[in-house]
Amino acid sequence: MIRELCTLLVTSVLINNAILNQFLGMCPFMGVSKKRNSALGMGVAVVFVIVVASIVTYALYYLVLVPLHIEYMKLITFILVIASLVQLCEMFIKKTSPSLYKSLGVYLPLITTNCVVLNCCLANISNGYGIAQMLVYSIGTPLGFALVLYIFSSIRERLETSEVPRSFLGNPIALIVAAIMAMAFSGLAGIV
Amino acid sequence: MKTILAILFFLVMVSLYIVLYLMNKRTPLPEGCENLKADCEGCHDYSCTNNPAHYRKKETDQ
Repeated sequence: MIRELCTLLVTSVLINNAILNQFLGMCPFMGVSKKRNSALGMGVAVVFVIVVASIVTYALYYLVLVPLHIEYMKLITFILVIASLVQLCEMFIKKTSPSLYKSLGVYLPLITTNCVVLNCCLANISNGYGIAQMLVYSIGTPLGFALVLYIFSSIRERLETSEVPRSFLGNPIALIVAAIMAMAFSGLAGIV
Repeated sequence: MKTILAILFFLVMVSLYIVLYLMNKRTPLPEGCENLKADCEGCHDYSCTNNPAHYRKKETDQ
């Protein structure tokens, strides 16, 4: 059981990475990766929201939607749950920790439209995960997202001071870097 | 019966979102966080509140 969970964790972080393997969350990947601090803030906010959203949607699905036989409502329910959770998290952080709000606050509304969150909630259901697997997958997926975002932002910061051909400046060179990173991460597939 | 339950459930979820949205709007921002801007220039989703186009519009209006 523990071995299975470890495999699931490694798979969700490195091999089935949300950004490089499933091409989800491309908007924050390109938009919030110019500075390492911003990438770290976004990464932490995504980890927090995905873990909470996964637990709530999982409970809601099995305790409300399944008993009422309205499973087909899961997509719209999950979207509303994620949007509500983001509002709740923002309000909670505003009231309890101004310093945390300073670093995460602006990224919280962005998470509502981050498809990694919705995908993680839906995958927990469609893959038929138990509670332990759901928790591991819901921690691994955002960790993989945050890891790739941080590495990518570090490379982009270095690119700012590198000599890049004029036609490749900005997003073109960033996309080439992303492609090379995707190839590098696909090489990790053999470890599991 | 199932359809009515689904509609009721949907209405409950939407009202929950509206209540939380309004509560969040009314919660005052902490000190020093009044003019926070995301460092985002990535996509063309103009409905996103962090899109720099909104700041540019405000600046040109002033």
